[in-house]
Order: sequence, then structure tokens, then C-alpha cells
Amino acid sequence: MATTSVTPARPNAAAPPPQPRAPLQMTLKILKYSVFYGCLALIALVFLGPYVIAFFGAFKSEANLFATAPWAPPHSLYLGNFRTVLFSDDFIRYLGNTLLVTCALTAGQVTFGVLSAYAFARLEFPGRDALFSVYLATLMVPNVVTLVPLYTMMREFHLINMYWAIFLPYVLGIPYTIFLMRQYFRSLPSDVFAAARVDGCSEWRILTRILIPMGKPIIVTATLIAFVFGWNNFLWPLIVTDSNSKQVLTVAIAGLQSSFNDQWNLVLAASLVSLIPLLVIFAVFQKHIVRSLQLAGVNR
Amino acid sequence: MPVTAPRRPRTPAAAAKRPPADRNRNPAGAVRKLAIAAPFILPSLIGVALFLVIPVVIVLVLSFVQWNFLTSPRWVGFANFSTMVKDDHVFHALLISAYYVLWNIPLQTVLALALAMLLVRKMPAMGVFRALYVLPYMSTPVAMAVVWSWMFNAQNGLINHLLLLVGVHGPDWLGSTSTALPVVAMVNIWQYAGYNMLFFLAGLLAIPPQLYESASIDGASAVKRFTRITLPLLNSTMLFVLVTDIIGSFQIFDTVYVMTQGGPGNSTDVVNYQIYQTAFQNFDVGSAAAMSLLLFAVILVVTAIQFRFFRSRITYEIA
Repeated sequence: MATTSVTPARPNAAAPPPQPRAPLQMTLKILKYSVFYGCLALIALVFLGPYVIAFFGAFKSEANLFATAPWAPPHSLYLGNFRTVLFSDDFIRYLGNTLLVTCALTAGQVTFGVLSAYAFARLEFPGRDALFSVYLATLMVPNVVTLVPLYTMMREFHLINMYWAIFLPYVLGIPYTIFLMRQYFRSLPSDVFAAARVDGCSEWRILTRILIPMGKPIIVTATLIAFVFGWNNFLWPLIVTDSNSKQVLTVAIAGLQSSFNDQWNLVLAASLVSLIPLLVIFAVFQKHIVRSLQLAGVNR
Repeated sequence: MPVTAPRRPRTPAAAAKRPPADRNRNPAGAVRKLAIAAPFILPSLIGVALFLVIPVVIVLVLSFVQWNFLTSPRWVGFANFSTMVKDDHVFHALLISAYYVLWNIPLQTVLALALAMLLVRKMPAMGVFRALYVLPYMSTPVAMAVVWSWMFNAQNGLINHLLLLVGVHGPDWLGSTSTALPVVAMVNIWQYAGYNMLFFLAGLLAIPPQLYESASIDGASAVKRFTRITLPLLNSTMLFVLVTDIIGSFQIFDTVYVMTQGGPGNSTDVVNYQIYQTAFQNFDVGSAAAMSLLLFAVILVVTAIQFRFFRSRITYEIA
């Protein structure tokens, strides 16, 4: 590429003289800025709009919902929909089930994932690279391919309708996050690990004292990916649960959609119950989440 | 592996081939290394073997049997595949999935790149906007599909209300065969455009700014700078985004299940939805297995094409 060569001969040729600034130029600049930020705000409105509409709808009574425009905020915080959804339909139990299953899935997936990623990144053992390429190859397998066999396996193990069935396939670590973490762990300075080994540190001590503190950003990323996956998972729980007692939120909401036909106020309230925990997590960890998701993009 | 096995006689040529790997060829050392690594690797190895590798083997077997989960399976050879080839439904579902990918991917990718280029500037509050744009990624697809169904509701939905303001009577979006699939695609674009923006942002930030400066000095227009600097240097980001998004797109399920149930008619009857119905509503396990293998093959081919396309272009390494 011809353009790659920087010409240091005239470094400031394109830069305008800094002072003084003409008032017209100033106005133009302000105008440019306000158009730019106006566009950004408009785009943000599109991304936030559905949440706002859901909030408005969930706090209106059925009559009110159809009498007012969708963008009109509710007159008062009508809680009837949440009362109906939460207490009439075992929704509290679905919420608890979802929380339990998601936490178990996240804890296992991250713990076992960190262990494996450490071994692939920092230990030497025969067959390591071959095994790792098997892990990578499984990334190509679409979920739906393993769906029917996994279901038959769960039936054989008599796990259908058990909490175990919902999180077991994901709890021992998944290749995607193992891959992400391995890439990050490999990029850490190897002198630190070598020094620790020379000092007689065991692999477990290296893991807990060096790797986990240094690899915290990518471990947070993996935790986030696992939690969002577990909370949002739908098709698998839909298949392996068929009773109310073990149902999770996503499956319950999809069921409501058909049973409360046209009672949009109730369905919207139920959807919000599932959306709010993720919104809270996002609001609290917002800065960290954006940075850590970006890490997933860089560490490939 | 016998620990005390005698070493193979090493020829000088073999030793020259991989001289530093000597430690690995010591069987006792290898066993010791395996013993150290085993506790770290075993949990995920069991997981990958039991829940990823073995199921792929099982699905291969299941595609050759006729089975309804209850009676004993019957070996039918290639019958599942031959009926699949003759069956218009399967081909139709594959076509619908392809339409869906075509609605989803180009728009989503262009939008993600455009958003990244807007937010890559060093200006105040960029972080806030990044966060707001990524927010939909965190939402539950099933719940959001419900919300979007409400927004696209023919009589009371937001979209048709807004259209009425400008004097247009909106269609029954989810009830019409021509609009249902694009609406489902749009919902997914809304959810994942901001997420993909993050990858492009990371890619853009990795481009050295001197390239743009010197290009400007040499008189390159903004369009030229985009096509000659930005796009080529985003090659690997583009490959990653396209490969993962297309694989995901071919497996769309949640939104379809909630918003359209494959309808109206069978205008949104994507492959994944049909596999689900075949296996868990019609209990035709063999056919479902064969269909999922077909989808697997399609995804492999499409992915291979993308790798070929992007590999054939020059990639620029920047130190």
C-alpha cells in the first residue's frame, strides 16, 4: 500500500492555525456537534424504545392499554398485571427455577472453563494441541444437531424434568469460553509464571494467586456470557421440562403468550419480570460489560 | 501406557526434526505431565465428550433409524435421507432460512459497522452511547419477541399507530406472508447490531491513525480511505462477525416460536423450527436427525466459502 508511508516532511500541513477562531466557524462547529449528538440520541431511542413501550404497557390495565396510545405513559402505576402474573401462575417459582439453574450453570461453566483454559494456555502435556483442536472443531457443530441425541441421553439417565437436565450439558465448560480465556491467558507475560515455578509454586497456587487475578477481565467476560446464556436459554428447557414445577421463565412466557391470548398487559408484565434482572445487572456493571464484551472480540 | 517401555532407538534425523521436544518423549515425564494436567482438563473433557462429541455420533446413527422415542428403533438405511430429498417441506424450510439470513445479515453487518464508525471518535459521552446500543444484546429473546409482537400488533401496536400519524394504514405485519419474515429478521437486527458494533469498534481502534493522516495528506477522499484502508484492515473482524452471525442466523428459533410459530402459512417455517416440530411434536426422530445433519452440512459449506473468500484477499499485518 502506497499510503502506508508517512511523510514526516510536512507534519502540520493539514492542521489549521489554532487562534483566533471566527464566530461563523464556531457556530458551524456547534451545529455540527448538535446534529451528531442528535443522531446518536435518535439511534439510542430506537434501541431503548421497546423497553419503554414494554414498561408503559405493563403498568396499564387492559382497558387502559387499548384506550391509550402505546407511547403514552400510564396515568398511575397500576400493579394489577404484576399481581396477576406473579401470584396466579406460579411465576415466582419460575423465577426461582431460572435463578437456580442459571447460577449453577454459570458457576460450573466458569470454574471448569478457567481450569481447562489454564491447562491449554500454560501447561505442557502430551496431546494438548490435538485435544484443543477437537474443542475448536466442536464450535462448528450447530446446537440443533445435538438437540435430539442430548434429549435421548437425558431420558436414558432419567433426568427429564429435573433441574440437572437443564444445566448439565453446559455446566462442565463450553469450548467457546474456554477458547476465549485460553487466548487471553496466553497473552499474559510468561516471566511471571516461570518465576513462580522456579520458586516452587504448585500449579494450583499459580492458578489462584497469579492467573485468576491477572485474568480477571476475561473471566468476567466468560461469567457474563454464561449468565446471559443461562437466563435466556429457551429451546433446551422447553424440551427437557414438561411440568410446572421445573419450568423456567422463558418457557413460561412463551406459554403465556398463547394462553393469555390478547391480554397484552399481562404478557408484557411477564416479559418485564424476565428483562428486569438483566437490566439491573447491565445498569450496575455497564462500563465493565462493554469493555469485557469487547475483550471477547479482541481475543480471538 | 507402560511407564517403563524402552525408548525407541532415535535416529539422528528424527532427533534433528524436533530437538526441543525431547522432554515430551520421555514417557515417565509425559505421564507426570498428564497427571498434573488431568484435574484441570478432565471436567471439560468429560463435558465435551459426553455432550458434544458423543451426541454427534448418536445423531449420525439416529439418521438411519425410524424411531418415536418410545418403541424400539428400526433400521431403515437411507430412507430418512431419500424422503428428505423428495419432501418439499425440507427444501422449503431451507429456503426460508436462507431468506432469513439474507434479510438479517447484510443489514445487521452494515448497521453494526456504521454504528462503530460513529462511535469510534474521541468525543465526550461515547461510552454512554456504546452501552446503550449494546443493551439489547442483554435482553431475553423470548421476552423481547413478546414486546415486539405487541409493537407490531395490527390494531393497537406502536408501529401502526406511528404510521397512522403520517396517514398510512399499516399492514397486519405478523399475519401477512410477505412481512412476517422481515419483521422477525428486524427484531434480531435490533438485538444484535449493537453487539456486533463492539467487534468493529475493536477492529477500528486497532487501525493506526497515521494511515488515515498520511492518506489525507496524499489527497485520498473519505470514500477512498474507507475502501482502501478501513475495509481491508477490518478483514479478520469481518470474517469473524460474518461467520458467527451466519451460523447463528441459520439457527434462529426463539423469535420465530414466539412471534409467528412458523406461520402465516409456512412463511417463517425456518429449518430449526421444522426440526423441533419433527422431533418433538411429530416424534419422527430419524427424520429430525437427518434434517439436522443437512443443516450442519449447509452451515459447513457456507462457512468454508466465507473462509475461502476472505483468505483469498490480502490481509495486512500491522506491527
